[in-house]
Amino acid sequence: MAMKGFVRNFPPLNILSEEDIENVHRGMLRVLWTTGVRIEHKRALDLLESAGCKVDRDTNRVRMPPALVEECIRLAPSSFSWRAKDPANSLMMGGNTLYFAPAPGQNTIDLNTFEPRPATRKEYYDAVRVLDYLPTLHFFTTYTPYFGYAGVPPCMGMLESLAARLRNSSKAVVVGHSHNSERFAIQIAQALGIEVMGTCTAAPPLTYFADAIDSAFSLAEAGMPVRITGAPVMGASAPATLAGSLVSNLVEVISALVLVQTISPGTRTMLLDFAMPMNMHTGAPAFGNVAVCIHISGFNQICRHYGIPTYNADGYPGSKRPDYQSAYEKAFRAIFTGLSGGSSRPLHGGVYGELSHSPLQAVLDDDIAGMVGRYLEGMSVTDETMALDLIEQVGPVPGHFLGLAHTRKWWKQEQYIPKSSDTLTYPEWLQSGKKSCIDYARERMENIIATHKPMPLTERQEDDLERILDEARAHYQKTGQISSEEMSAYRASLASGR
Amino acid sequence: MALAGYVRKFPALKILTEEQVEQIHRGTLRVLWTTGVHMEHRGALDILARAGCTVDYDNWRVRYPPALVEEALRLCPSTFFIKTRDASKTLQIGGNRLYMLPFPGHHTVDLNTWEPRNPTRKEFYDGVKVLDALESVHGLWSYTPYFGFEGVPPSMCLLESMAGKIRNSGKFLTEGYSKGSEQFTIRMAQAVGAEVCVPCLLSPPLTYYEDAIGAALRGAEAGFPVRISEGAVYGGTAPASIAGALVSACANLIAPIVLLQLHRPGTRIFLNDFTFPQNMTTGAPGFGNIAIALHSAAFNQIWHKYGVPVCNGAAVPASKRIDFQSGYERAMNAALFASSGANFILLHGGVAAELTHHPLQAILDDDISGMIGRFLEGIEVSEESLALDLIEQVGPVPGHFLSKPHTRTWWRKDQYVPKAADRLTYPEWLQSGKKDCMAYAQERMEHILAHHKPPALTPSQEEELERILEEARAHYAAEGLITPDEMATYQRSISAPGYPYE
Repeated sequence: MAMKGFVRNFPPLNILSEEDIENVHRGMLRVLWTTGVRIEHKRALDLLESAGCKVDRDTNRVRMPPALVEECIRLAPSSFSWRAKDPANSLMMGGNTLYFAPAPGQNTIDLNTFEPRPATRKEYYDAVRVLDYLPTLHFFTTYTPYFGYAGVPPCMGMLESLAARLRNSSKAVVVGHSHNSERFAIQIAQALGIEVMGTCTAAPPLTYFADAIDSAFSLAEAGMPVRITGAPVMGASAPATLAGSLVSNLVEVISALVLVQTISPGTRTMLLDFAMPMNMHTGAPAFGNVAVCIHISGFNQICRHYGIPTYNADGYPGSKRPDYQSAYEKAFRAIFTGLSGGSSRPLHGGVYGELSHSPLQAVLDDDIAGMVGRYLEGMSVTDETMALDLIEQVGPVPGHFLGLAHTRKWWKQEQYIPKSSDTLTYPEWLQSGKKSCIDYARERMENIIATHKPMPLTERQEDDLERILDEARAHYQKTGQISSEEMSAYRASLASGR
Repeated sequence: MALAGYVRKFPALKILTEEQVEQIHRGTLRVLWTTGVHMEHRGALDILARAGCTVDYDNWRVRYPPALVEEALRLCPSTFFIKTRDASKTLQIGGNRLYMLPFPGHHTVDLNTWEPRNPTRKEFYDGVKVLDALESVHGLWSYTPYFGFEGVPPSMCLLESMAGKIRNSGKFLTEGYSKGSEQFTIRMAQAVGAEVCVPCLLSPPLTYYEDAIGAALRGAEAGFPVRISEGAVYGGTAPASIAGALVSACANLIAPIVLLQLHRPGTRIFLNDFTFPQNMTTGAPGFGNIAIALHSAAFNQIWHKYGVPVCNGAAVPASKRIDFQSGYERAMNAALFASSGANFILLHGGVAAELTHHPLQAILDDDISGMIGRFLEGIEVSEESLALDLIEQVGPVPGHFLSKPHTRTWWRKDQYVPKAADRLTYPEWLQSGKKDCMAYAQERMEHILAHHKPPALTPSQEEELERILEEARAHYAAEGLITPDEMATYQRSISAPGYPYE
């Protein structure tokens, strides 16, 4: 059983030639062999050395031979399933299918001023429920929707996020890593009988620190799928060129793929592209920039060539509000992931950067995702759809197709009807209060929050979850990562109820 | 010399298989042969009958033999030039080149209430000026930006539009027709040494009236290019299924192509896909619907195979405001049109349906166009851009690329930096007044209006233009299409001190 997602029924858009792919691939192999990557993790260095890599212990530099790299690429499955709390929501990742995830943000926003502020626990849980409801939202990425909520100490952010998602949704989940939180996340998954996809996050350029590699080991050894993340900023931690940053990003993610396949051959692996150009005026990532659409198109094409599923991680506009600019920036990202054969991407709810999220935005984005999904279905060309007999029968003016059974059957299948958009004529619109998409989305959001009941955890699952969370709290308190004051605030927040 | 436009550096998106294209083609040939079209123009019927079509004069019905259809398609040039008043704005249409054009609207719109209203002459002329200033606007469209302005009687709206465009821009021209107005627009273009693309507008399904055919023939006889526009609504004037709408579209468009290639072989033709699914709740066209992009992608694929350039005109939103919905409806459709090989996209300035336009919208769309253009350039993969030596030299953390000459050279080429977008960080944004894209676009619009100088007409060109307008006014008054009251209002506008620019 698996969630269908959006299936692409025509060949993808290929923006690189075969020779371009070859050049990028050879470039990657060259850098992996001549320069290698820096991996700050003894156990990983030992393992890679035993697999045939050249390791310099003084600089923690690993150089990987091309044959090993290419073998590990082949070992990674091109498609894999990943179990959600509700088996019907499990995913079959890869191939010509696209799944959407939410675009998380640190904070929520005030819908009048658009200024960011931390979310409350209730807002957190409500936002997860909205995402659980939306049919075009197929799974959850890490720390969605917000990075924690008021009262949660930073080291527990990832785990409280996981708990919120497991309590308020039955969709598949990804977990990030922070202070070895993935160990607790894996225990939670095992106790609940689900799988979590975990992450292993590079520090570009060409570097992995211990926490990322710890996560890779934990996940691969537990048989969980791994999402390998590179997030270079072009012109800062990667070359300013699209081609150069494709190479360096691939060096980063493929080097971790080699490690993961060496730890446990056949590990389900996803490669993430979060390359962004730099805003050369402010120094920030240039959120919203079209260079990302081009980069992901190239990255997706290369990963299709390798046969490895992808996640195009930049779902963020440069605009700070759900406005015209935000929409065109998001629409471009969503459609180009779909056209270029990306396996998944975040979209729903991201307001600005990775700094704000809103359930109102998620409801608006449900329509963008629906449009992309409809487009990827393509068009059906059959005797019935070509309707030649009908065209001939209707003939020229005054003939028309309005009253026909064929019309009644086919119009619904061919169009995608958005759920939060203004589709009135001018007179109707003027007479009915000039409602905008924001008005419709707000109504929809309030309705979902008031009425949607996600699949609950069983009592046993809830007990196991809370037990492991308590273990994690105790662990982080013991290691000094939660102070006494923070713990008091935390307990008060937990006691305020769900 | 021609405007570069945007050149697509990778193969276009194809959503049909070769077999499906063949099926659509066969279906089109069948409809043209078994049913044909209704063409209410005696002279056209004679031309077609002489060439071997089966013509039923009593019912104005023409049926086309497949061989004639396929020969006519072969005669259409797949790439051609169109001459403009400003020679540097010549267009080379076809192949993998894309030009962006504006999207007109009946009225302007109040940016606070979002309610439409008739523009003034000054607003019309300023609207053209903004389009002339924007580099990503590669030409102008019919009755752009608005359908006339205050004081102009309907029969003169298209001609005042043509004059407004010629006076305020040297870019590509096309203009609609109404009551034989193409005779005047052709002369206006000739007066300034430009070509005008004359339209031929279908009345779906499968019908052309005398004005459409008359305009097409006049345009071809003047040696000008012709654009044939398909404007069906699927579920209404075409089948509700996209494939059926496509067969119907191809049959509709081929009918005048055959006529034109018989009458003037080698006539430059491009086609406009301006079809929409029907909004089954309101009965209006389903503006903004994603089905539009599917139809256009298949349309582009088929017509590229036939070797006839294509315009995708339907990236017009259902939203009545410049807002989130409008942004995604326009951007998604435009991006899909571009990816599937459109040679023209109508975009800049159209706010809602074909009913409102605003120059502020055009400025926002300059950024969408820039993004499309940059996407179509693709990725340059060369030794310099791969930068392997640099990657190896920089190495792992703490290495970085910030201070490198390579970064300084290349960052501008690989990003597109928008001109009317909010690009600030949160702190900067909060401290500097939380400006949004509309505020940036407003600043840009004011700057353009204050400083941009379109290429001026020579005094003799202006004289000739005004003389043709006078002739047209007299002609339509004589035909009873301008009442005395209308003419009085019109004359007041013409004799205003700032005429013609205010």
